[in-house]
Amino acid sequence: MNLLVWTLAVPLVTAAIGGAGGPRKFKDAVLIGGLFVTFALCLVTARQFLSGRAPAAFGDALRVDGLSALVLVLCGFVGLLSGSYGVGYLRRNEARGLVTPRMRREFYGLIPGYVFAMLLVAMANNLGIMWIAVELTTLASVFLITFHDRDTSLEAGWKFLVLGSLGLGFALLGTVLLFAAGQGHLGEGMSALHWTRFMQAAASLHPFTLRLGVVFALIGYGTKAGLAPMHTWKPDAYREAPSPAGVLMAVGMLNGALYCMLRVHLISTAALGPEFSGGLLLTLGLLSVLVATPFILIQWNLKRLLAYSSIEHVGIMAIGVGLGGEAGVFGALLHMTYHSFAKPVAFFSAGTLAQLHSSSDFKRISNGTFSRTPVASALFVLAALMMTGSPPFGLFFSEMIILRTGFLGAHVMATLIFLAALVVLFCGFAYQVGHIVLGPPRDPADRRKPLPERFDLGMATTIVAAIAAAVSAFYLPGPLIALIRAATEVVRGGGV
Amino acid sequence: MTANNLLILCAAGMLVSAYLMVGQKALFTAIRLYGLQSLLLGIIAATIAVSKGQHALFVTVAITVVLKAILIPWFLMRVIDRIGIHREIEPFLNVPASLLACLGLTVVGYRVSTGFPEGALGVSHHLVGVALSMLLIGLFLMVTRKKAITQILALLTVENAVFLVAVGVTSGMPLIVELGIAFDVILAVLVLGILVHRIVDRFESMDVSRLSKLKG
Repeated sequence: MNLLVWTLAVPLVTAAIGGAGGPRKFKDAVLIGGLFVTFALCLVTARQFLSGRAPAAFGDALRVDGLSALVLVLCGFVGLLSGSYGVGYLRRNEARGLVTPRMRREFYGLIPGYVFAMLLVAMANNLGIMWIAVELTTLASVFLITFHDRDTSLEAGWKFLVLGSLGLGFALLGTVLLFAAGQGHLGEGMSALHWTRFMQAAASLHPFTLRLGVVFALIGYGTKAGLAPMHTWKPDAYREAPSPAGVLMAVGMLNGALYCMLRVHLISTAALGPEFSGGLLLTLGLLSVLVATPFILIQWNLKRLLAYSSIEHVGIMAIGVGLGGEAGVFGALLHMTYHSFAKPVAFFSAGTLAQLHSSSDFKRISNGTFSRTPVASALFVLAALMMTGSPPFGLFFSEMIILRTGFLGAHVMATLIFLAALVVLFCGFAYQVGHIVLGPPRDPADRRKPLPERFDLGMATTIVAAIAAAVSAFYLPGPLIALIRAATEVVRGGGV
Repeated sequence: MTANNLLILCAAGMLVSAYLMVGQKALFTAIRLYGLQSLLLGIIAATIAVSKGQHALFVTVAITVVLKAILIPWFLMRVIDRIGIHREIEPFLNVPASLLACLGLTVVGYRVSTGFPEGALGVSHHLVGVALSMLLIGLFLMVTRKKAITQILALLTVENAVFLVAVGVTSGMPLIVELGIAFDVILAVLVLGILVHRIVDRFESMDVSRLSKLKG
């Protein structure tokens, strides 16, 4: 069987077994094993691509180029981390008597199911299939967001589903309009919606229909990526979703949705030049960074803090792509890579803090966590340093590359605003994290006595992720750099 | 051209059904209106399929009629029956003002549709004009209504609008894609139904304006 089919089949089978029931130890082993094999298969796929044979399946409906390979590897990596942390997470909740059989079924079924949908997004060469896969991630997330079945999780789930479905409605309209723009030039049947076919026919696409389609598609997928002003579901969803699922959304879905936007951007660039969709991306990105700033300063919840940081980061990536040029795109993709390394550490350590204090609200966690839960707090500080782009960590370099591109290019004013927002964001984040970790404890009345820290699978995963993220700042494996370069090549040259 | 007249008539019917939905407070009637709208969409697709000889479109027709004109309305009615809430409460904007706003949205929709390659003439201009107007009306419904079911109907109206564009300006999407989209729509409606159930169980209401704890 084809390599790509295997890569998709493994998480799907894992999901089917996990959702079916069975003894807990067996399901733990299947989940982690399945996600490990999936990650390995993603690596094999990337290696095959790097060795010069672009993997494809089903008459090019699935096709892996540099961009897909990068997203694929990052998704596989995050999927594995999420599964392995998730097993530990569920055990901790079990010890507190919070886990029902429904939760266990949903968890073991949905996590690999989600990974499957994300991988399908990255592999799909067909814009229709890509849309279907994004919709699948949406539906899976709804159950993950409402996982704990609290009042607030239903609220978050409902808001997410309505806004997400609306966004996807827009994305579908965008896809239909792109298809309409190429009537008579794209050929017949299934392959008419192939991205590669669009790139070949770019010159003959009808400009007005194309413009309208690009706007709808970018706004639609932008909703899923969480770009302002369509970001409002994000803080609610991140707060309510269990941390292992949160990380799938914050890295997997974010990368996937941004990937979809890039594909549309490329079609638009090939047909209309880079200004149109690039300008749109730059605007949305800048808006996201600006919107995130005040909310980080006034934040009252640990996971919502991460959500606004994630809105900021997707904004930075959009700015990088929007600024364009080889450096801008390379910076954006490097940012995506480093963000995928750093975000899991933040989510896992924040999740552990929240679990130990039975809440992610600042009020309930209280300040000065370092004296009570030193390991999780230290990991969270490390993650916060990475995520605010402090040197020597990776996100510092990618932000520098994007800033440099901006100052050398035509959008100096926008870059200045961007830089100012980054500085405020850094201070705001440092302020919040400093308070939580080192600040004087609050009134003992609303402070909770945390559970003791234990070295379990969840903690081990967090530490491994932290080491990987810290090392990545100084050493990226050669093949990964080659992948980022290949992805940049795709974005730069339209690389069909 | 009788085929063209039929197309324009059905498209107008879809637009009217969207307007009626805006003016409607009884949820059952609103769901029936959605069913009618989907049926008209089916007739449009069938007419194009026959008059242009595009037999692939018959699949769209079948999906539209079975799924959107029968199954989804039936499912939504069952949800309403189970939870026993039948009327929309006072919307954020009253009905006359809403209708007036929708009139404006229709003008915008028609204005945008003149940019398409077929230009300001011909049937597909009307189809696209109606579709874009319906899209905007769906969005409008979504922001002004409070009941969960009405929000679902608004989403489905947007989805119908997208399909009207698909049959109006393209010769239909590739088959597999269409089937996949239909599958996703079923799933989405099921998930929405489940969520409505859970919300009603918990809040004893499906007034989504009560979902307002999460801020900042």
